[in-house]
Amino acid sequence: MLLLSLSPMSLLRALPGACGQGLIWGIMALGVYITYRILDFADLTVDGSLATGGAVAVMLIRAGVNPWLALIAAFVSGMAAGLVTGMLHTVLGIPGILSSILTQISLYSINLNIMGKSNQPAGVDQYPLIVSSRYISGDAFMKLRFYGGVIAGCLVLIAILYCYFGTEQGSAIRATGCNKSMAKAQGINTNFHTVLALMISNGLVGLCGGLYAQYQGAADVNMGRGAIVIGLAAVIIGEVLFSKLYTGRRFTFAYTMMAVIGGSVIYYVVIAFVLWLKMPSEDMKLFSAIVVAVFLSIPYLKEKLGRKGATA
Amino acid sequence: MKKKVVTLLMAAAMTASLLAGCGSDAGSASSESGETSGTGSEAETGENAGAGDAAASNGETYKIGICQLLEHDALDAATKGFQDALVELLGEGNVEFDFQNAQGEQPNCATICNQFVSDDVDLILANATSPLQAAAAATNTIPILGTSITDYATALDISDWSGTTGTNISGTSDLAPLEEQEDMLLEICPNVQKVGILYCSAEANSEYQANVVSGCLEEDGIAYEVFTVADSNEIQAVVTSACESCDVLYIPTDNTLAAATEAINNIALPAGVPIIAGEEGICAGCGVATLSISYYDIGYTAGEMAYEILVNGADITTMEIKYAPQVTKEYNKDICEQLNIEIPDGYVAIGE
Repeated sequence: MLLLSLSPMSLLRALPGACGQGLIWGIMALGVYITYRILDFADLTVDGSLATGGAVAVMLIRAGVNPWLALIAAFVSGMAAGLVTGMLHTVLGIPGILSSILTQISLYSINLNIMGKSNQPAGVDQYPLIVSSRYISGDAFMKLRFYGGVIAGCLVLIAILYCYFGTEQGSAIRATGCNKSMAKAQGINTNFHTVLALMISNGLVGLCGGLYAQYQGAADVNMGRGAIVIGLAAVIIGEVLFSKLYTGRRFTFAYTMMAVIGGSVIYYVVIAFVLWLKMPSEDMKLFSAIVVAVFLSIPYLKEKLGRKGATA
Repeated sequence: MKKKVVTLLMAAAMTASLLAGCGSDAGSASSESGETSGTGSEAETGENAGAGDAAASNGETYKIGICQLLEHDALDAATKGFQDALVELLGEGNVEFDFQNAQGEQPNCATICNQFVSDDVDLILANATSPLQAAAAATNTIPILGTSITDYATALDISDWSGTTGTNISGTSDLAPLEEQEDMLLEICPNVQKVGILYCSAEANSEYQANVVSGCLEEDGIAYEVFTVADSNEIQAVVTSACESCDVLYIPTDNTLAAATEAINNIALPAGVPIIAGEEGICAGCGVATLSISYYDIGYTAGEMAYEILVNGADITTMEIKYAPQVTKEYNKDICEQLNIEIPDGYVAIGE
């Protein structure tokens, strides 16, 4: 009975917001994709560097800096976080996951120091923000500008990354992630390229933090909590749902990155769906975990079923 | 190609069945909790609205979105007060609550507030600072009432504060009378040498209170030291060190510490260090005394403000932020006895 009382229109109306949020988080998911898939490095710096990007962007915007410049600063601050993780790993020989956790923990204090306190607002009424959730409920022109801008931004990022990973340096990063010993044998400085990939990845995460802080109108020291889960979920959902559509075609890598952003959008659509169902919110985390687990297991089960089919 | 389509369909079907399963479970669960506890008003009012409560109705059902930051006794009480006030004033069946809990995660606040705006609710209640900021970012037309927010000027970055926000935002503050709390500290512990102020560095509201209280202590010429924890894991170490260097602790209305009173009490009580708390919940767990506000009351007041806006057409941009209508001096009988602290007249024991 209760299910009948839910209005499908309400879900439909919630979708634009979910898509907007998903697109922004998709940039972070791209960063996670670079470390998790290309470099094969479990990087948990993300939870900290996202808030660092947000903190840097908001503090600069509050100081009267142009929001676009603030975004660049957010990107650079994220890169600095990635540099620290990379140095801990390559120079000091700390295992990858541990060095990223160390950076993430230390970033908590650093973010507090950047902001001076735990929460710093930057409202859309006071500052000329690039993105804001206000634009989603605005008039048609505002909506168009928001979605057009964010989608165009994502596509530009993908184009840059696509070109970059086609260069000699980008290929060296891919080789490092693919087979470290072999890359070394080919004369690639794997340590350098590991650090470089971590910097690019966390730069993207910082950029996302800078955008997201503007979107929600505040930077908070806790804003990155759980970001890595959203990022991994986006990467995997994107791969599982879309990989069949482009595997073997030209520009596969570019499509993969689009799929990752698509995965992030789907993640937020699912959250909007859960909220729309009005299920008890205390179960929401369990539900997100189940959704991610389902997507994670699909490739494995598919393979298993496929093999059975082949032997039969 | 066929295989690809099958794969996609399979993935879709799995997700869909999962979603459907969860959906129906969730529906029945929430209606149950509504009946047993009486707090889940969305289920109750939803049914009543269907029945058509014509007698009390003025022909309009108001839809109100409530975004609460996390599960927490104080925030729960404020939400309940808000809902009780509106059900009382508007009559059951004339108001429909869409209650959403962000589970302590900020991204959820933005999702929830966007959803409220796209649903075109009549009013949004933002319970705690992050929901208020998310709601403010999401709309400048739908009226937003905040509650459990200590300082609106800080939360919304308003530099020339005049008691109103001048925008679509108003609400109630949970600011406890901090100067009187400091007076109380001196009344109960007149021989204090050094006060330790303890809070979680992630909570802007706590920091604000800590600053005010340390200012008061400075005026009275009493030494103090500020201790902060980043999360609940650090509480034990920080409280131990605070108990060593201070002879009284002060804890403001801090959500992180409020959730760990047992751990704090296990250190402070053996060390013989009394704690003055910013609210009743903390005092009941580990404090000796508090000058407490009731979160139910500030929620209820926010509900009355909502009634003014929805029914009487009050202009939210000119509504002043309201504070707790009354404060009570309370003490924790058990801990006071164990620490041999004499409580002056005029205090009420918690739980009596």
